[in-house]
Amino acid sequence: MPIIFISGLPFGGGERLARMLAQKLGYDYLSRDDVVARSNECGIPVGKLEVAMVKKPAVQERMARLRDRYLAVATDSICEKAAQGDLVYYGRAGHHLLPGVTHVMRVRVVPESGQRLESVMQRLKLGREKAEKFIQDIDNDIRAWVHFVHGWEMDDPRRYDFVVNLENVSLENAAVALCGIAELPDFKPTPASRKAMEERLLQSRARIKLALDERTAGADLTVRSAEGILTITYMPRQSGVASVIPEVVGDIPGCTEIRCTMAGTNILWVQERFDPDAESFRQVNEIARRWGAAVELLGYSASGTAEVGGPEPAVVPGRASTKAYDGGIEDDVPEKLSESERTFRRTLEALVREGRSGGGQTVCGGREKILSSVNPSIPYSLVVVGDLFLQKPAAARTRMARELSAWIGHHIKAPVISVSELGARLRFTPAQALKIIASLAVVALVYVVIFLRQGPVLDILGGGYHKSHPWAAPLLVAVVAPLVAALYGQVAGALLKLIKLE
Amino acid sequence: MHVLFGDVFMQLTVSKALLVILLGFIGGILSGFIGSGGAFFMTPGMMNLGVSGVVAVGSNITHKFGKALVGSKKHSQMGNVDKKLAIFLLATALVGIRLAVLINSMLFEGGTGHGAGKSAGADLYISAIFIGVLFFVGLHMLRDAVRKGAEGEGPSRRITEYLGRLNLKPVIRFPVSDVELSLWVLLPVGLATGYLAGTIGVGGFIGVPAMIYVFGIPTAVATGTELYLAVYMGAFGALNYAWEGFVDLRLTLLLFLGSLIGVHVGAYGVKVVSERLIRLTTGLIIILCVFSRGVAVPVYLRELKWIHYNPAWDKLFNGSSTVLLFAAGISGALAILYNVIKAHAERRKIHTTLLVSRPGSET
Repeated sequence: MPIIFISGLPFGGGERLARMLAQKLGYDYLSRDDVVARSNECGIPVGKLEVAMVKKPAVQERMARLRDRYLAVATDSICEKAAQGDLVYYGRAGHHLLPGVTHVMRVRVVPESGQRLESVMQRLKLGREKAEKFIQDIDNDIRAWVHFVHGWEMDDPRRYDFVVNLENVSLENAAVALCGIAELPDFKPTPASRKAMEERLLQSRARIKLALDERTAGADLTVRSAEGILTITYMPRQSGVASVIPEVVGDIPGCTEIRCTMAGTNILWVQERFDPDAESFRQVNEIARRWGAAVELLGYSASGTAEVGGPEPAVVPGRASTKAYDGGIEDDVPEKLSESERTFRRTLEALVREGRSGGGQTVCGGREKILSSVNPSIPYSLVVVGDLFLQKPAAARTRMARELSAWIGHHIKAPVISVSELGARLRFTPAQALKIIASLAVVALVYVVIFLRQGPVLDILGGGYHKSHPWAAPLLVAVVAPLVAALYGQVAGALLKLIKLE
Repeated sequence: MHVLFGDVFMQLTVSKALLVILLGFIGGILSGFIGSGGAFFMTPGMMNLGVSGVVAVGSNITHKFGKALVGSKKHSQMGNVDKKLAIFLLATALVGIRLAVLINSMLFEGGTGHGAGKSAGADLYISAIFIGVLFFVGLHMLRDAVRKGAEGEGPSRRITEYLGRLNLKPVIRFPVSDVELSLWVLLPVGLATGYLAGTIGVGGFIGVPAMIYVFGIPTAVATGTELYLAVYMGAFGALNYAWEGFVDLRLTLLLFLGSLIGVHVGAYGVKVVSERLIRLTTGLIIILCVFSRGVAVPVYLRELKWIHYNPAWDKLFNGSSTVLLFAAGISGALAILYNVIKAHAERRKIHTTLLVSRPGSET
């Protein structure tokens, strides 16, 4: 049965609806209050975090760390409870915590405004005006929280499966209707969805353990989980934590392997089929080596079917899925990997051998699935977009890949480059060499002229000529300074590229 | 001091040219390391080499303009530039720059004319602003570096909160930074940034902290936006100083030679040095630069005839100031280079030894 997420606003009837639903269905009930209480026990000052996020949204390092830990505790609480049985969760945007888990039913509750106002007036003993102001402020704060913590707008209807408007339907009837809807096959758990939830649980547990252990609490770590493998990256300046990480997270149930990668930054590589023997792998690996970056693989197929992760019989049509390598294959079934799955694994293993692995996962469906599978707290320096939409004709493939690249760049806020462009940038072609030589020649000419003809130049800049023609100095400065900076900058960049010190 | 063209430009010898390139290189390293323009080192460095203060500022702001032009493109690609915010700040920053150029030019032109060094008034004024502003900035950085628990805590947000509570209308929304700001907060910050950029070439030392502490925007966006702003402020300042006849293009070109290489080394250093060490190194270098400038001040006071001592001592003051400045810059640059080389060597070792561990088995 699904995990039912009821998303609502305080005093808006959402909590009562969630409790009623849990009672009718015989499900467990968990609320945001429980998560907050557990977070506080784990040393996460949620109140302080809320104020910081809502009033001062610029995320500082410490706040970003606290936010990640809070989200890990929330994910862990939900997954743990859901693993024990069926669950109704009431909160703000809990459904964003389980991307890739398809057996979730996301319900938004629109409160009945009159009743809500009365409720606030009675329970908080406020006058009408103050109660209205209170509701307005708290709604704005919660919207801001969802925006800054989850990166989505709370009022976006695309984030929900159903919207219950309590202005038009009673709580009782809404609960009855939702009970029926929860039985629909669309929300039934699939092996792939269960697997995705296990991965989320493993990832959140690792994050919590690393946060609570004093040896790793202060480190900037990113944690990803796929197929029981934990991939943890740490900053070069915190290389001391590497040896401690396996001790801290090694005993988490379900963890089969731990991979620690030292990375100053991260590169996201989105492609439909990966191949460690391809030229593109060498190029991405080369840029990662130069930058000291970890490469995260994201196998993406827009079709939502076979190509990336192989056959996935359990996927419900119309609902995209995230899965780890063998999506849909249960543990007790012998592994049958498709060719694309095998090459995906081989690529990941090749990255591990190179010491550049940032983990990997595959995702099928609409392009928003890319965003939901990417950890928003990871600052990517580059997104490499490889071959996508392979089933489309060449022209459509190019256009769609270009549009997707622009869309990714807009949402992830990192430079996006295609694999072919990356190759061109890495190679030192004769045309580039010619360009650099030409730039160098122009720069040299400017320096020779300026330094061999210092007298006339200084005359223009501040001598007699300047007195009679004051416009000449700004003109000379406006032409020479940017020209030299741009051309010499190009030459310096090329030199660094040649000695592989970008 | 050997000068050309009406006491404005100095005679450039090979050794001085090499020292200017070195200034550019060290300034570039510090600039890449700190994320500022490096003017706090290059401007007084040029003054120590005999360049008058106003020409040092004019030449450096021209250099900054060119460098920002290259750097802001990268920040723009990373989504770190809030162009709307930059436009609002620029409106008053340009006024601040014009004001600074006028004051500097007036002080330069208004040299005593009775035997005193013509640029002494402007030099003293520039030095005083430099010492006042950078002493405060340096101390603040050192305090942050030594404060217990400062690592990763991020800057204080008290000012942002206070100003937010005042709710001064009109309030403008900036989607990239994701903040709402009062116009009455934006305008003075722009003015102060422009004024300092125009006076001593270190607008970023006011602009970036103001964006972080007063506006409450993310550090990366503050740095990116400041760099974007620096293109226009630098261009406007460079053209203004050039119009007044105070840009020595030779110095600008020599600075480019060193700084455009050094900035990459410094930027690499940021990746491998801890945040606390960055603040500590930067704070110490800034404070030493301030002391170095302070040592040179008696020379300007004597030239203005405000104090009297044997002019032969000028050499001692100037020499000590230069030695102190270069010692600070070189030791700072060496410390950064040492860390870069050490980290590079370590990374080469670690590169192939990725830790792969299976719970319950040997790693």
